[in-house]
Amino acid sequence: MTDYETVIGLETHIQLNTTTKIFCGCKADSWEQPPNTNICPVCSGLPGVLPVLNEAAVRKGALLAAAMHSEIRLTSYFDRKNYFYPDLPKGYQISQYDISLGGGGFLDLPMPDGSMRRVNIAKLHLEEDAGKTKYENGVRYVDFNRCGVPLVEMVTGPDLRSADEAAQYLIRLRQLLRWLGVSEADMEKGHLRCDANVSIREMGSTVLNTKTEIKNINSIEAVRTAINTEVERQIALVEAGGRVEAWTLDWDDALKRLKKMRSKETEADYRYFREPDLLPLKLDEAWRDEVLELLPELPLARRTRFMTDYDLPEYDADILTGDRPISEYFEAAVKAYGGDPKAVSNWIMNEILRMLNDLGLAADELTITPEHLAAVIRMVDAGTINNATGKAVLAKAQTSGKSPESIVEEEGLAQVSDDSALQAVIDQVLAANPDELNSYRNGKEGLFGWFMGQVMRETRGKADPQLTRQLLAKALKGE
Amino acid sequence: MSLFDTSAYTIAKKVRSGELSAVAVLDEALSHIQAIDGSPGTLDGDWLTNGELLTDDEKNKVHAFITLTAERARQQAVSIDARVKAGEPVGPLAGVPLTIKDIFCVRGIRTTAASRILANFTAPYTATAVERLEAADALTLGKVNLDEFTYGSSTESSAFKPSTRNPWDTTRVPGGSSGGSTASVAAGEASLSLGTDTAGSIRQPAAFCGVVGLKPTYGRVSRYGLIAFGSSLDCPGPVSRDVRDAALMLSAMAGEDSRDSTAARQPVPDYVAELDKGVKGMRIGLSPDYMQITFPDPQTGELVTQHLPDEIRQATLQAAEALAAQGAEIVEDIPMPNTAYGIPAYFVISRVEAASNLHRFDGVKYGYRTQSDFEDLHEMYRKTRAEGFGLQPKLRILMGMYVSAAQYSEQYYQRALRVRSMIRNDFEAAFDPDGAYRVDALLTPTTPTTAFKMADVYGDSVLMQYADQFTVPANHAGIPGISIPGGLDADGLPIGIQLLAPDFMEETLFRAGYAFEQATADAVWRKQRPQVLR
Repeated sequence: MTDYETVIGLETHIQLNTTTKIFCGCKADSWEQPPNTNICPVCSGLPGVLPVLNEAAVRKGALLAAAMHSEIRLTSYFDRKNYFYPDLPKGYQISQYDISLGGGGFLDLPMPDGSMRRVNIAKLHLEEDAGKTKYENGVRYVDFNRCGVPLVEMVTGPDLRSADEAAQYLIRLRQLLRWLGVSEADMEKGHLRCDANVSIREMGSTVLNTKTEIKNINSIEAVRTAINTEVERQIALVEAGGRVEAWTLDWDDALKRLKKMRSKETEADYRYFREPDLLPLKLDEAWRDEVLELLPELPLARRTRFMTDYDLPEYDADILTGDRPISEYFEAAVKAYGGDPKAVSNWIMNEILRMLNDLGLAADELTITPEHLAAVIRMVDAGTINNATGKAVLAKAQTSGKSPESIVEEEGLAQVSDDSALQAVIDQVLAANPDELNSYRNGKEGLFGWFMGQVMRETRGKADPQLTRQLLAKALKGE
Repeated sequence: MSLFDTSAYTIAKKVRSGELSAVAVLDEALSHIQAIDGSPGTLDGDWLTNGELLTDDEKNKVHAFITLTAERARQQAVSIDARVKAGEPVGPLAGVPLTIKDIFCVRGIRTTAASRILANFTAPYTATAVERLEAADALTLGKVNLDEFTYGSSTESSAFKPSTRNPWDTTRVPGGSSGGSTASVAAGEASLSLGTDTAGSIRQPAAFCGVVGLKPTYGRVSRYGLIAFGSSLDCPGPVSRDVRDAALMLSAMAGEDSRDSTAARQPVPDYVAELDKGVKGMRIGLSPDYMQITFPDPQTGELVTQHLPDEIRQATLQAAEALAAQGAEIVEDIPMPNTAYGIPAYFVISRVEAASNLHRFDGVKYGYRTQSDFEDLHEMYRKTRAEGFGLQPKLRILMGMYVSAAQYSEQYYQRALRVRSMIRNDFEAAFDPDGAYRVDALLTPTTPTTAFKMADVYGDSVLMQYADQFTVPANHAGIPGISIPGGLDADGLPIGIQLLAPDFMEETLFRAGYAFEQATADAVWRKQRPQVLR
């Protein structure tokens, strides 16, 4: 059997999280609003209305373009993409066609083998979203709330080689969008939508064969399943001597099935022409520089820096750059702590991430600051508290808002590290348990842990474990 | 008082001073409309097409209106009079009767575009130009007839019949597409009207009806609320009986608009204050390319040239003499070599934009939806648009779709855009202050003919379009142009002369136009009154 390679290009639509829509003053976010309640004459396409471009959408689009290493064009144009559909109230979509805001670009994907896959960006432009259509009992209902939400459409080259890579691209893109703060990027809410162009070829070949386009893949998991399903279909078809046709397919996520929508041959001519209702989009260099100044260090660069500057394993660096707040939290904590960054990484990955997960918060929404975390780690290092107490103190600091130091102070959680006080407790424990002491002295050394536990119980966990171990060993030996 | 004999400027002055009440002006206007306008245009008036079944009485009426808004006007008039009485400020158009081409949205009022497809549409918002005119305290008498979606030069393509007749000769068309606007002003039904000009739709009917019509610089007046034809060409503009009134009206409605990003930020001068600066030292150009009609032969494609009727040529030259007598310097033989290509390029550009602009009329959201059964969405679209649009929109959709199709766009649309730049270059060369000609304005005839008989050229879309040959270049170039009455022909029909100026130099047009009015104030032809007022 022939070995096949999968060739995938993704077309993504990204809703920008501006306050208002791209061409009118309606709110951009209509989540959970009743149909057709967040509309105005402009976005519902009444006769005589005109679009006025929202600068915030251009700003966010340009920031994204910069992060994708695209050229931000100082002059770009809006065009009309003409087609009839009930949820497109003007009968044309205002989009950018041949000279769009962003030119070229790429996104690097770290591969499991440590290599990078460079995914080229073929198109990056601004446009308006259309409304939504739904069918109920054979009736078509149209909701215009979504009309005019600013979108960036981004199309990759045919650079992805598996369903996993496609999923990886979306995961990285989603991370980037949130990192930049340009989109909520929630696929379930349609902030980030994806169509996939899929073809196969014999391994080693470089030709691009006829592709199919899969529409409506709206979760990472669906991207994997839909593409794999289509690749299997194409391989089976070719193996059976058939030929892949340029179909447009619809992914039904409930049935996990692809449905043929139409043949590409019948595709519409959108009769693009310049939108006469908008002036050319002219940006000056000062404006561009201002936007570029807002461009943060990108996740991948920060990930690499965490590995080199802090000597973190790739695994840690990846997790600690999962989102921008956690990466900033980590760096602030390292700075406040001053010691081994790996210790901070461990505390964040074990304690802080669990806490964030339980509370459903982002790192910048936590009550405990990076300085608090650093204080806790320092107290553990100094033996003032032990690890377990440290974790408990973090939890208390989060709920009470008090500093870790004051919690340790107020609740008397500092470890007993006074030799004589500890010695007294140990003597008391040994005296109270003569049977166990005998067994130990007769060779049952496994009881050491039990004695440690007794001492800890007596000191309510405050005993310095290292010192206790030392003193207890001597006492048990009768020294 | 007759509105025909009183300017908007004078009415506003008298209303402001309390000498005249706005309600009295309104009553006068309404009773005059009652007397001479006849039946308003209605959809059910289809059987009246071409006036064949009209009574003789109706045949002698103007039929400017589609919708009379007497109640709205009365509320405005009452409010103005109350404010005058209370010593509160009133606007610069206080008490001036105004009609609005029924292509502008006005909140709460039916806005039809003279089309069946919008016959039941009531706008939920008001166009910027209308809003500003109302804020200046004009009295909104109503919405007046036009060619369907402004597509035409005779007002005969309106779906609302009877279509408007020329007040100077009711067997003739008023021109178009702003025929209802110019007829209502010419007949003294209103002092001012708000029209639109995409290829000459204000200036051509102004010439035919013997009134003043201004196409401002593109972007001088906001297009917000104007139902679009050719979005890159459309300009709202004033129709009035004299130049000062046009200046007054433009001052009230021009200027930037946060709802139209193509509206210019350029400050708006007080046009009226500049009027009597005269034309001394002004360089006014004449071009041989505007003294003939040139068009491609439909069969061979070769350019054919026709001379202008002598009366029209003479009226233009006499205007030049009158201006020269006022101190203007006349510069002859300005070459405007691309004038002949204005119409073909316009055919392409306007139709591409029009076809796209008409997409929204799909029976889904508002307006007409087919009353017959349909199997699916596409059949609903097809039937709605087939039944809702008249001939002119359909022709424009067909041609617009064709010339913007991927395989033809380069050959037609892109090429037309290049022609458009060449036409703009002609004007830039003529107006260039460091160039060979350095003119401040060009003086041309507005139209190659005076008003034609009803039904004479209707349906002959090509011939009708050539009525716009002298007006369309200004739309391509974006520059301002004005048509002012320049005499009467042997049949007693008005002749229009046109002045064209560089971007945002409306002031030059007003000054020259006003000087011409002063110079010809005593001319015999100025004493003639339109047929409906005799």
